[in-house]
Amino acid sequence: MNPKKRYNRRPKLEDNRYADTTELEIIWKRRVFYVQILLFVILFLLIGRAFKLQILKHSYYSKKAKERAVATYIIRAPRGEIITSDGVVVATNRAVFQLYLDPESIEGEEEEVLVKLSKILREDFGQLKERYYFAKKRYFGRVLLKRDLSWDEVSKILVRQYYLPGVIVEVESERYYPYGEAFFHLLGYVARIDRSEYQKLKSMGYSPEDYLGKSGVERLFEEYLRGENGRIEVERDAKGRLGKVLDRVPPKAGKDLVINVNHKLQMTAYELLKDKRGAIVALSPKDGSLLALVSSPAVDPKKYLTGFSPEEWKVLMSDPKKPFLNRAIQPYPPGSTFKLVTALAGLQSGAIRDPKSSVFCSGSFPFGQKIFRCWERKGHGSVDLFKAIAQSCDVYFYNLGLKLDINFLAKVARSLGLGYPTGLGFPDEKPGIIPDRAWKKKRFKEDWYTGESIVVSIGQGYVTTTPIQMAKAYLVLANGGYRYQVSVAREVRDKNGRVLKRFEPILEGRVSINPQHLSWLHEGLKQVVEIGTGKSARVPGLQVYGKTGTAQVVALERKRANLEHHAWFVSFAGNSSIDIVTSVLVEHGGHGGQAAAPLAGELYRAYYGLPSQRKPKEKEGAEEETLEERPLEPLLNLPPVEERGAQ
Amino acid sequence: MIEQKEGLNTIVHFIKDNLFAWVALFGLIFIGILNQFNMGENTTHIFKNIAWHVIGFLIFLICVFKVDFNKVSPQIYLFSYLFLTLLMFILAVFKKRWLVIGPLSLQPSEFLKIVLVLLFSYMVSKRRGLPLSPKDWLIFFIILIIPLLFLVVVDLDYAFIIGGMFFVFFMVLGLPKRFVVGMTVGVLIFSALLAPIAWQKLKPHQKGRIYGYLAPEKYYKTWGYQLYQSLIAIGSGGFAGQGFRQGWSTRLNYLPAKHTDLAFAVWAEAFGFIGVLFFLSLYGYLLYWGLTLSQQVKDLFGKYLIVGIVLILLWQLFFNFGGAMGLLPMTSIPQPFLSYGGSITITTYLMLSFLFNFAKRKSLFK
Repeated sequence: MNPKKRYNRRPKLEDNRYADTTELEIIWKRRVFYVQILLFVILFLLIGRAFKLQILKHSYYSKKAKERAVATYIIRAPRGEIITSDGVVVATNRAVFQLYLDPESIEGEEEEVLVKLSKILREDFGQLKERYYFAKKRYFGRVLLKRDLSWDEVSKILVRQYYLPGVIVEVESERYYPYGEAFFHLLGYVARIDRSEYQKLKSMGYSPEDYLGKSGVERLFEEYLRGENGRIEVERDAKGRLGKVLDRVPPKAGKDLVINVNHKLQMTAYELLKDKRGAIVALSPKDGSLLALVSSPAVDPKKYLTGFSPEEWKVLMSDPKKPFLNRAIQPYPPGSTFKLVTALAGLQSGAIRDPKSSVFCSGSFPFGQKIFRCWERKGHGSVDLFKAIAQSCDVYFYNLGLKLDINFLAKVARSLGLGYPTGLGFPDEKPGIIPDRAWKKKRFKEDWYTGESIVVSIGQGYVTTTPIQMAKAYLVLANGGYRYQVSVAREVRDKNGRVLKRFEPILEGRVSINPQHLSWLHEGLKQVVEIGTGKSARVPGLQVYGKTGTAQVVALERKRANLEHHAWFVSFAGNSSIDIVTSVLVEHGGHGGQAAAPLAGELYRAYYGLPSQRKPKEKEGAEEETLEERPLEPLLNLPPVEERGAQ
Repeated sequence: MIEQKEGLNTIVHFIKDNLFAWVALFGLIFIGILNQFNMGENTTHIFKNIAWHVIGFLIFLICVFKVDFNKVSPQIYLFSYLFLTLLMFILAVFKKRWLVIGPLSLQPSEFLKIVLVLLFSYMVSKRRGLPLSPKDWLIFFIILIIPLLFLVVVDLDYAFIIGGMFFVFFMVLGLPKRFVVGMTVGVLIFSALLAPIAWQKLKPHQKGRIYGYLAPEKYYKTWGYQLYQSLIAIGSGGFAGQGFRQGWSTRLNYLPAKHTDLAFAVWAEAFGFIGVLFFLSLYGYLLYWGLTLSQQVKDLFGKYLIVGIVLILLWQLFFNFGGAMGLLPMTSIPQPFLSYGGSITITTYLMLSFLFNFAKRKSLFK
C-alpha cells in the first residue's frame, strides 16, 4: 500500500469514533506478542542470573560473606610447663598485655595509626614503623607491635580504641623462664612462628600467631608442650564493630613435662661456669637420666620474645664467645680423659695383662723420626697402670697405643658410646670423631700411620668427643657396662598431675667388661682424685673417681690469641653405689686438674648437700647476682583454662 | 439503585475475572512491606513505607474506580508535561536530582515517565490506529528529548534508560522500520565515533562505575564495592535464603543503599532463589496480564497506555535486578514494591491503577 495514500485517508483528530479495523487488532496483537517475548527474555535472563549466583556460586559467595562478616580469633593454648625432677618449674607462662596491629584493617592508614601509637607509647615513630614493617614481612597474621604493656599503656590505648582501628590489646599467656640463662641451652626457647615455618606446619594445626619451640627441650617435646588452640568466631559489621559470638572452641592447654634434670645441680653448674666458657653435663649412671646440662655463656631466652635490637643481635652474633653455641654437644679433643678408653682397650685386647707391670717414663718417647713428649718433662719414672691414670702419664699410653690396633681402639671407644649422638635428641648434637682406618681412608684417602695411633691413645689428634659423650662413656664405666641412652624427659603430665606418658630408660647396649678390669680402672680413677692430677675434686666423706684432661688447642691459634688449653674433668662419685657422673669442660681453662676438677668437686658437694668449698666472698657475690637476675614472680598467674573449666 | 447494584456486580465480576492479577498485586504489596521489615532495626523506614503504601493504595482505588480516562481532559497531560519539564529545567540549572519540599523529596523524572506514556498514548490513539506521519514522529521525539536533555545534566543513566525505554515504546506504537534501523545504525556509528572522546570526558565516578561493573572483585574496595556486596548478599542467600531478618549482609550493614537501590539484594539474601522466583513470578504475571489486557481492551488509548506502563515496569525490573546481579551496570533505579520511597511507591500504584482501570472497563463492557 502506498503510505502517502494512507496519510490522505487520515481522519480528523476531532473525530472521536474508534476505527473499526480488524487489521489493527491483528497488528497490535502481534506487537504486544513481541513485548511478551521481551518480557520472557528479561525474566529468563534475571532468573538465569539469580540461578547462577544463588545456586551455582552459592558456596563461593557464602565463603566470601563469612570471610567478610565473621572475625575469627584464635585463643592461644597455654604451653605446658617444664618441671625439674625436684619439682621446680623452670618454664612457665605468665599473662601479659600484648599490642597487636591488624594489617588488613589498617591498610592504607598504617602511618596514621602508627603516629598515634608512637605518641601514646612515647616511642620513636621511625622505630615503631620499622618494627611494624619488619614483623609484617616476616610473620603472617597480626603484627605484635609491643609486648608486655604496662597498665598505663593499656588504659591509654583502650580509651582511644575508637580512634585506633585495627589496634588490638590482648591478654595472652607468654612463655616465661624464671631462671633465664641457666636453663637456656637445656630448655631452648620459643619464638613466634615465621612465614616459612608456618607454611610447613600449618597442616599440623599451627596458626600464624603461634609460638614454636625452636631449640632444646622446647623443640624436642613440642608435640606435648604445645596445646591445641581454641577459636572464637564473632560477627563483624561493615564498620568493624563486633557483634554476637557465633562459635567458641576453648583451647586445650599443653601438657606439662617433667624432666630428669635436678634443679639444684643445674643452678650450681650454671654458677660454676659463670664468666667462663665451657660446659657441664651430669648423668645418672643408673638409668642415663640427664641431671644437668649447662653451657656457658648463654643467652637470656626472654630475648627471643622481646626481640633483639639490631645492635644486640650484631654483638651476640659476632661475640667470639659464641653464646648461642651449646658447648655440651660440641666436639672437642678429649685429651687425657680419653686415656681411660685406651686403658680399657689395652685390658680387653690383652696388651695389659698385669696392671702392675710398669713402663719407664723418661719424659719423652721417641718414635721413628719424632719424639713424643710426656706432659711431665721430668718424666714419671717407673709407671704402672694405676700410676699412669693417676698421674696421666703420656708415655705409658704411647707404649700402649703402639701395641693397640687403631680399629680395635675405635671399636672399644664406640662401645662406650663415643662417635655417636648420645640419644639426647637435640638436632644440633654433634657425633664427634672416633678415627679408624676406614675413616682416614674416607676422610684423607690415606692409610693409617702407627704414629697417629700414639697420638689418639692420649686423646689428641683426630679424635674429638663432646662433653655429654664423655659423661656417657664414663657412665658405662661407672655402672659396669650398661650403656644407657641419655634421657632428658621423665614424664608427661596433664594439668591435674595425671601422668600421661612415662619415658622409660633405654638401655642401648651392654658392654661386657671383665669385673677385674673394671675394678682396676676404678682404682686408677680413685687415685687420680686422691693422689693424682685431680686432687682438687676431692670431697671429704665422698668417694670420687675422675680423670683430668688437658686438650691441646691448635698451636697457632693458641699463640695468636694467647689462649690456654681446654680443661677437662670427667668423673663419677658415690659411696656404696655410684650415683652421678659428671663431665666438666672449661674452654681455654688451662690444666684439667686446676680448672675443671674443682668444679666437679663443687657439683658433688651440691648434689650430696655437703658444705661448699668456694670462698665465702665469691659465693656471696654470686648469690647476690643470681637474686638480681632472677625476675620477680609472674604478675598475673591465670589458672590454666582447662582447670577453670573443671571448677 | 439499579446503577449501584450494577456497580457492585461489576466489581465482583471485575475481581473474579482478574483474580490472579489481584492476588499478584496483594502478594507484591505484602512482599514490599515484608521486605522493609526484613531490613531490621530502623522502624521509621518501616512505618513510613507502610504510610506510603496506604497513600498509594488510596490513589490506586480512586484511579481504578472513580476515574474514566475518556473523560479526562488531555490538556491535563499536556500541562503536567509542561510543568514537569519546567521543573526539570529548574533542577538541571541547580544541578539537583531531587525536588525537596519539606519532608518530601520527589524525583520528577519518575512522574515524567508516566506523563509521557499518557501523552503519547493519547496522541497515537487520536490517529485511530492509522500509521503516523514522519512529522508526528518528529514531534514525539522532540517531546521526549526536551525533558531528557535536562535530565542528562543531573542523571545521565536515567536519561539513557528512559530514552531507551521510549524507543522501544515507539517501536511498539509503530515507528517505521527504516527509522528504527536508521536510528540504531546512527546511534551505533555516533557512539563508536564519540566513545573515545566521551570516555575522556567522563567523570572519574562514571568511569569507576564501568570498572566496578566489569570487575567488581578487583575494585571491591572502591568502584565495585556496591556491586560486590550485592553479589555476596544475593549469592549467599542460596536456594532457600538465610531467613527473615537473618541475612548477614543486611544485618551487619554491608549492603549500601539497602532500603532503596539494593532492596532486591536484601530480599534475595533473606529468601534465596525461592524468594526471587516468587517475586518474579508475581511481578512477571502482573506484566504478562497487563500485556494480554492490552490485546483485549477495545479502547485504543488503553491499549497503548497499558503497554507503555508495562514497559516502564519491565524496565525498572530489568535495570534494578540486572544492576544488582551484575548483569547490567549499576544504576540507581528503585524497584517497584521492594524499594523504599515515596516517589516509587506512589508512581507504582498510579501505574498499576491504569491497568486495573482498563481491566474494570473490560468487565464493564463485556
